[in-house]
Amino acid sequence: MLRGPEARLRLVSVLFALVFVVIIGRLVWLQVIVRADWKKEVDTLLDRPYGLPSPPPGVILDRNGDLLVGNAPIYVVGADVSIIATITDTVEAAADLSPLLGRDVASLQADLAVKDRTWVRLAWAIGGEAAYELEDLKAEKWYWLTLEPTWERYYAEGALASHTLGFSNERGEGYGVEAFHYRLLKPQPAVAQGEVDAASEPYPEEMAQGKLRAIQGTDLTLTIDRTIQAFVEGQLDKAMADYGAYGGTILVMNPKTGAILASASRPCYDPARRSEYTEDQRDLFVDPAVSIPYEPGSVFKVITAAAAVDSRGVGPGWSYYDNGALEYGGVVIRNSDREAHGTQDLQGLLSSSLNVGAATLSTQIMGADVFYRYVRAFGFGQLTGIELVAEVPGFVHLPTDWDWTDSTLATNSFGQGIAVTPLQLVTAVSALANHGTMMAPYVVAERRYADGTVVPTTPRPLGQPVSRATADYIAELMANTVADRYDKARVPGYPMAGKSGTAQIPTSGGYDPVEVITSFIGFGPMPDPEVVILVKLDRPQIETYLRWGTQTAGPVFQSVASRLFVLLGIPPTEPVVEPEQ
Amino acid sequence: MSVVWQQSTHGVPRRKEQMNQVTARAFVIGIVLATAFVGGYLALGAANVRLSNEVWALHNDVARMQRESSRLETEIARLSSIPVLQVRSVALGFAPAESVGFIELETP
Repeated sequence: MLRGPEARLRLVSVLFALVFVVIIGRLVWLQVIVRADWKKEVDTLLDRPYGLPSPPPGVILDRNGDLLVGNAPIYVVGADVSIIATITDTVEAAADLSPLLGRDVASLQADLAVKDRTWVRLAWAIGGEAAYELEDLKAEKWYWLTLEPTWERYYAEGALASHTLGFSNERGEGYGVEAFHYRLLKPQPAVAQGEVDAASEPYPEEMAQGKLRAIQGTDLTLTIDRTIQAFVEGQLDKAMADYGAYGGTILVMNPKTGAILASASRPCYDPARRSEYTEDQRDLFVDPAVSIPYEPGSVFKVITAAAAVDSRGVGPGWSYYDNGALEYGGVVIRNSDREAHGTQDLQGLLSSSLNVGAATLSTQIMGADVFYRYVRAFGFGQLTGIELVAEVPGFVHLPTDWDWTDSTLATNSFGQGIAVTPLQLVTAVSALANHGTMMAPYVVAERRYADGTVVPTTPRPLGQPVSRATADYIAELMANTVADRYDKARVPGYPMAGKSGTAQIPTSGGYDPVEVITSFIGFGPMPDPEVVILVKLDRPQIETYLRWGTQTAGPVFQSVASRLFVLLGIPPTEPVVEPEQ
Repeated sequence: MSVVWQQSTHGVPRRKEQMNQVTARAFVIGIVLATAFVGGYLALGAANVRLSNEVWALHNDVARMQRESSRLETEIARLSSIPVLQVRSVALGFAPAESVGFIELETP
């Protein structure tokens, strides 16, 4: 039938063509007609999430580049219990793992013998040498161990500046800079979805798509100087021990920029051990410098005086007669010493810290509208906008409020019936130190993004509550007050300006008859101040007659300021005369 | 395709295909090009796989080194932290300064 080679050749060609058609047909069937079904099945088998170990969160540095908050590499250690071969293995493995995981053998053995799950977590946060040994164990012996790399925040200086640094949880809730800048600090993990092999490594086609973009968190450089911070915290601890205070705050700010150089508050906490604090101790996490307002007392008189000078031209020629009491709005205002001081000018008002004088300024010279306009201009009752979580605006009762009375105008003038945060007070007084310009306080000096871009914070004026002439005049009065009255706050070699305060503590229905908050706020060296310092001590437990700002906070201000100038490299501006012992 | 019968071999007549020279050349060139294309594709695919594996390994190396770098950073920070420096200073015989100030020098 098939005679001759040509016929056979034709037959073979036809057969090849048929096979080719069948193959092409099959390919069309698979690749076109039922493609969607097969793709779905393949995706089910191969399409899984894959990724790289997460890059680290951003670190937090002090102004000199010293690490304050870093990242310690740790592992979450687990076991794929579904593939543990024998019971004998669990016994032996538990003995091997116990010293490395810091767990007892029996509990480990129980975890490894679990049958209702495929994976169990054996330990959280294993790092250092133990991690290396676990890696060796996994490679050589217990292949079912899982080591998931992650990070743990590392606080290099322990509890130093804990309120400022703070912490945050996975949802970004927390305190301090950490929580405020959670989104900046948080890294973007390199995780994608695609086709992977049995080892969960992506196929080349996946890699070629370049889906993995690991971006580490943004590093923050703070305005805080760890040396100054440590010294200030040491001084605060010493003051609390010396005066038996329950708590306290020391704030140091550069009035020209608003940069916070140190912020120390007690009581404080160790952020690395935050999980160990009980529910009752959670109040320790709150930063008193920005979140706990208090009645400032007499230090507020400088604000009242500045407002009067700026608005009504009260100046060197102004005086009033102090008969020791002023009745206003049904309340009798008295001086703290219960004395009458006769004719007084503004210098006398501030030097002797006369409540009657301050109330005279607010009630008879300014009136409510003017006084509260200046209180607002100085930032009281408003947030400063600092990059710290849970800042509060304090309490300023305005004439439009239901609970405001005429007497409020009188008591507010000397810092009673008004609640401010230490940061608000420092910010307001810094306007007097900075020739009338009030700078916005800030703690983050610069941000360093993952691509190397550095974005420094530009100092920002909050406003000009008073004129330059007014600010300089009040600063001069405050400097005279330190020179004449506050020998315990003077700093040899550096002319300082300051004002003390001793504030009663409000209770339900009045004021605590015994407990006070003492404070001292000052700046220097005059006439061009480089630092503003606030020292506040809560409830000092010394002899009652010594519970004054001048007696407690004043000396602390002196010791902080004198060392601060050396640490900042600011030489004396006048001959150093050591005080007589 | 024309067929030219040639001499017989052992009595069996053999034929010789006489192909068109141009067609034959085109066919050969086609085969060569197809082989080169397929070879190139396979080489490219292989290179892609190798490079992808290298990239993946490099990614993992970067992550590993980043972790090692962070570990060293924290260790350096621990060793140069203020509490550790204080302890080491005291162990070396230093004492905290009671008074720190500027020294006034005569101007020459």
